[in-house]
Amino acid sequence: MIDDKSAAHPPPEIQARPARESIFKRHENLTVLSIFVGFVIVIVIVQLIMWGGQKFPTFISPVNILNILQQVGVPGIVAVGMTIVMISGGIDLSVGMLASLVSIVTALGISKWHYGVLPSILLGIGSAVALETVMGYIISRTKVEPFIITLGGMITFQGIALLLCNSREVIMNGELDFFKTNLIQGAKDPVSHLNLIIPPYVLIFFFIALLAGLLLNYTKYGRRIYAVGTNPNAAYLAGINVQNMKLSAYVIMGFLVGLGGVMLLARVNTGIITLGQGLEIDSIAMVVIGGTALKGGKGNIVGTLIGVFFLGSIGNAMNMLRLPSEVQFVAKGLVVIIAVSAGDVSARISGFLSRRKALRLGAAQTPFGRKGVTMESTK
Amino acid sequence: MSEILQLRNITKTFPGVRALENISFDLREGEVHCLCGENGAGKSTLIKILSGAYQPDEGGEILFEGRNVILRPDVAMKMGIQTIYQEHVVFETLSIVENIFTGSEIVHRGLLQKKEMRRQTAEVLKYLNSDLSPDTKMTELSSGEQKTVEIAKGLVFKRRVMILDEPTASFSSVEIDNLLGIVQTIKKAGLGIIYISHHLEEVFRIADRVTVLRDGRKVSAYDINGLTKNTLINDMVGRDPSTFYRRERAPIGEVVFEAKNVSGNGAKNISFVLREGEILGIAGMTGSGRSELMNVLFGSARLDAGEILIRGNVIKHSSPKSAIRNKMCFITEDRQNTGLFLPQTIAQNVAVANLVNTREFVVRQTDDARTGQKFIKQLNIKANDARTRVVNLSGGNQQKVVLGKWFNTNGDIFIFDEPTIGIDVGSKQEIYKVMVDLLKQGKAIIMVSSDMPEVISMSDRVIVMKNGQTTAELTAEKISEENILTHSIGDKVM
Repeated sequence: MIDDKSAAHPPPEIQARPARESIFKRHENLTVLSIFVGFVIVIVIVQLIMWGGQKFPTFISPVNILNILQQVGVPGIVAVGMTIVMISGGIDLSVGMLASLVSIVTALGISKWHYGVLPSILLGIGSAVALETVMGYIISRTKVEPFIITLGGMITFQGIALLLCNSREVIMNGELDFFKTNLIQGAKDPVSHLNLIIPPYVLIFFFIALLAGLLLNYTKYGRRIYAVGTNPNAAYLAGINVQNMKLSAYVIMGFLVGLGGVMLLARVNTGIITLGQGLEIDSIAMVVIGGTALKGGKGNIVGTLIGVFFLGSIGNAMNMLRLPSEVQFVAKGLVVIIAVSAGDVSARISGFLSRRKALRLGAAQTPFGRKGVTMESTK
Repeated sequence: MSEILQLRNITKTFPGVRALENISFDLREGEVHCLCGENGAGKSTLIKILSGAYQPDEGGEILFEGRNVILRPDVAMKMGIQTIYQEHVVFETLSIVENIFTGSEIVHRGLLQKKEMRRQTAEVLKYLNSDLSPDTKMTELSSGEQKTVEIAKGLVFKRRVMILDEPTASFSSVEIDNLLGIVQTIKKAGLGIIYISHHLEEVFRIADRVTVLRDGRKVSAYDINGLTKNTLINDMVGRDPSTFYRRERAPIGEVVFEAKNVSGNGAKNISFVLREGEILGIAGMTGSGRSELMNVLFGSARLDAGEILIRGNVIKHSSPKSAIRNKMCFITEDRQNTGLFLPQTIAQNVAVANLVNTREFVVRQTDDARTGQKFIKQLNIKANDARTRVVNLSGGNQQKVVLGKWFNTNGDIFIFDEPTIGIDVGSKQEIYKVMVDLLKQGKAIIMVSSDMPEVISMSDRVIVMKNGQTTAELTAEKISEENILTHSIGDKVM
């Protein structure tokens, strides 16, 4: 008779005293952080080699870092919202087109309908909140995949935006310029002596990230969002209103997209449909690089921040290395794949090592059952 | 009649449990051989061995048409053993023909022979006196018709042995008649049929022979002629007294919970009261509607009619939230899917149900860690600290985390649905002790259990359910295996 414990048994009870988890598992952002640091080191070394150590590597010069921050400010704000939505078990593909819609509505409010600056901004943000609420309501009350609903939303919002602006761009006269005033006027880079710039929206991004981090980690609301994303059935039976929690994530998303749309408009002074293009791709990429799981329940704001800086610095680094800008897409794609699979790969490696150790210590049972025995007809 | 299948001295052990001990069993051509026994008697393990899903321990042998064989799923199928499980395994969006042939399509030069497959299907359906069209989609069929399709599949591929596991669960009486008719037909075609059912009336209508299992052992085997229901039931019960034990009793207080004519989610017109310091056992066979009733009581399924009273006040549960606010706790039977947040830590799991009762918006992680640590100590959870992720714990320790989650809400009406399912003996005892401690604090427990010794040893009173209805309420010395079993499978209420 053939012994085949592996196939026959229900999963074996795991050892009574669980082994300490590896450091990479206990501190969940460590994997992606080390990849990011590795990336920065490689770029710096390449720059040093290129210039034979003659010049300070411009990639890590203060002016370039602030430059990167300006580029990632808006996608970062949206990525914070995307983190909350994805932890709750959802996703939102509509954010790009919604941001475009917000920019067009706000620009129209200011330059065509003459509502004044503040009411127009509120109108833009309000419309984003309203539209996300509608999507969130459908997602939380039906069983339809959020992927589908927000895909529909993306197409619809594009249509609404184009109808509002008659497929033309809406030009303003710099009414929103205060969003790009330099908060550290006159400060110079110690190396290159270029002007340093920190516009308000970069600070708004940091402020929102801080707020969201506190919300997720230290409030009842945060606990519930994680619970809903991890196991909606158990969450429901633990007295959590799963539907409203999911809805709330989209409402928050609406507010942040609205804010992001206004910032985008402030940067280019023109409301136009292409403004938010690709924002959904970038923000989702940032969030997953940061370790948030598509299936929900896992992720955090610190990870997302790393993802934001990582993705934001890739294009910039390609420029520094004088590589054609097309290369950055390849690099971005590879980073997403590497960052997301790195956790799994490192778990496999450490699992393999600990099994080897167990074998060396002469554990009584082999962790693998014998396999591959087929029918035998012993007479 | 010749034997198709013979099992000799089959034993199957799982870590810590002997599921089957020294079973011998045989099946002849053209007969219906029924397997009877309580939940957990070993019926499912036996059919899993026959279908090749489990391998028996060394020492026994399985003979198929006189040849010694080792059964694996693919081999069993090739030799012609087909198992039709209780839950349907069908491709819902495909047609009957596609369901039958998926995986073993008839192919000629790489092209599907649709006409031929359709012809064979139609032929078999006609043989089974079914008027279904082979092109009907599975979604359009009733559960009875889906079973017919699975049986038809067996005939198309000329199987020799058909194993039917609880085929009539959730069937209407017309569907039961149809299915039993079909079983008669395929029996005449010379197949050997192993039929498992909790409904004795079906057994007596269809069986040629009956084998009774209890606690993994074969108790008896009979020809159906001259057999009475009482003999069968007596064989199914009659455990060794050492499997029972005495628990400490707590003083019984006043009524805290009452169900008045509760209907909904499959439960029909259920009434009972629950007092402080008491365990009310809910017994019955799988599928008798016990867990469904618990969901209604906890507000996680709709109450269609009747009233739920907590300490004399009528409660309108709209959701588990209000149930928790009314100090109810629900330890579900499926802890991994409905009880725990597996990837999260012990601290997070323990804190989550009590969020309903906390007013503060801000929660402190250190408080949670302390609470987690408290329950690790109190419930003797084997873990390094409260930051341990629940997924890394054993079944018994996971169940303790579920208990911690509910203790943290300070509830006093506990519903335990299968409190010790899939748990090792040591943890089982610990959980029983925890339950007794609850009673001493004046809390009340409703316990659904399929584990007969558990029901009998732990309960102060027992309600027996069948088909969503109560068939008996037993107290004191009336709580016996015979009584419980008679009321859970007898044909008193339909």
